[in-house]
Amino acid sequence: MKKNERNAYLFLAPSLVLAVLFFMLPLAKSFTGSFLTISQSGKVLGFAGLRNYAALFGNPAFISSVANTLRFIVLFLPLNTFITLLAAALVRKKEKWTRIPEFIFLTPLALSLSALALVFKEMFRGSVSIMGRIFSTDVQWLDEPFTAMAVLVVLGVFLDFALDFILLLAAFRSTDRSILEAAEIDGASGARMFFLIELPAIGNMLSVTVLMALKDAAMISAPVMVLTEGGPFRSTETVMYFYYLEAFRSGNRGAETTIAVLMVLVSVLLMTLISRRRRNV
Amino acid sequence: MSEKACRTAKILMAALLSVIVLFPLFYTISASFFTPQDFTAEKALFLPSRLSLRNYALAAAHRYFGRYALNSFITALMTASIRTVLSVLSAFVFTHLEFRGKRILLIALLSTLFIPSDAMLYENYKTVAGLHLTDTYLGIILPSLFSASAMLLTAGVYLSADRDIYDAARIDGSGDMRYMASILVPLTSSVSATVFIQAFISSFNSYLWPLLVTTKPKMRTVQVGITMLGFAEEGEYGAQFASIVMITLPFLILLIAVRRLIMKSLSARIGE
Repeated sequence: MKKNERNAYLFLAPSLVLAVLFFMLPLAKSFTGSFLTISQSGKVLGFAGLRNYAALFGNPAFISSVANTLRFIVLFLPLNTFITLLAAALVRKKEKWTRIPEFIFLTPLALSLSALALVFKEMFRGSVSIMGRIFSTDVQWLDEPFTAMAVLVVLGVFLDFALDFILLLAAFRSTDRSILEAAEIDGASGARMFFLIELPAIGNMLSVTVLMALKDAAMISAPVMVLTEGGPFRSTETVMYFYYLEAFRSGNRGAETTIAVLMVLVSVLLMTLISRRRRNV
Repeated sequence: MSEKACRTAKILMAALLSVIVLFPLFYTISASFFTPQDFTAEKALFLPSRLSLRNYALAAAHRYFGRYALNSFITALMTASIRTVLSVLSAFVFTHLEFRGKRILLIALLSTLFIPSDAMLYENYKTVAGLHLTDTYLGIILPSLFSASAMLLTAGVYLSADRDIYDAARIDGSGDMRYMASILVPLTSSVSATVFIQAFISSFNSYLWPLLVTTKPKMRTVQVGITMLGFAEEGEYGAQFASIVMITLPFLILLIAVRRLIMKSLSARIGE
């Protein structure tokens, strides 16, 4: 073997070992496991065919976790897209005053996931909470299904806001100047200019951002865990939180392996869409 | 609408959005000075009734809080350093060397982009537990050391590196390691900085994995530990907020100091 080749394998070895150990093998194990009957202790009891999948889709708790996740996505995605796009659009042209909001829009980066979730938990802690005062209501935010979901959605937006803002702002600012100048010469201005020229120019980046937010939303579990633990009455129990409970609390290997396989399929679908878009960026 | 009115409307909207965005941070800082009574006041307070550092003293005196922060710092630093080195090595191999199986190995590594690690949580937990690595730094960092997107990001930059320099370096007899260390990496330090910053932030922020692989209090990372400080249970909500401020402040300062670098790093995904 040439020295060249030896070096190539040597340099790749650690990455390959990690990729196999923490991505490929677990995927292979989940995939094969989803067609087997496995006991809580991990013993293979026999071939199950599609019974694990049938059991999963026959489980009302799973169906409701899918519905909860979809409800989260339907509320989160439009709100998140609108708010981040608005923020980026407002400061896209550098002026004297834009420096201040531009910095403020980055600050949510400093608050980490569990810290922000804890802060939200306190801000919405029943009728004596600060949100109760601001909206002058005594709603028990986290004890009622609809408001608990709404708080989770707002938390989700705060968690994604800074990153999406940075991506969209970078897209706005890297738009080809000549396109904008040509449009200006043609007399386009203000809202027309924005909706007909600038927004389509960042279209690809916008759809990449939306798809990535969709992927995050479909996989959401940690914010649920800290904020509501799936409650009240399992109304904020998302698919991945259900996976966590089944895998680590109930030792239900059938649910664990089948959900893993299904979530990989969802991820493959979304990542394919993302990379297709990205090629055109 | 006149141009001036339009500008005023924009400023007003930006101001409104700024207030909303800043509110949780403002409330966190404010509440970190609250007395226990301030939290149960009939009308919820925006500002503390008096200024006292009692909550900070409580948080700082917590048995494990300092240890949590140290654990997070160490694991984030290890993850970021090792991931950067692995990205340099693998990106170099795929852009500079020819070898059998190149295509298939590249496809294999890139396929990991499609596998969400959250869905592999249980299997990975079993692997790490099987290696007896629970409650160790290695166990916390191992599954997130390799990142295909970091490798891609680096390789994208190396593709445009001047091949003549590499060929000349090889004729001079300098090895691949030497070429990377003294020429390639210094010339492309900005992509390595990007990989490093992204990895550091994502590792420092990770919650689920460290929660699963640590059971001993002294091995917990701050993201996990902060939810288990026990202050809220004692009615000391203020100390809970003070501890959040204490881990948030360094990042806020960093954000002020190297804002451009962080923005550039985080938007670097575009080029993938």
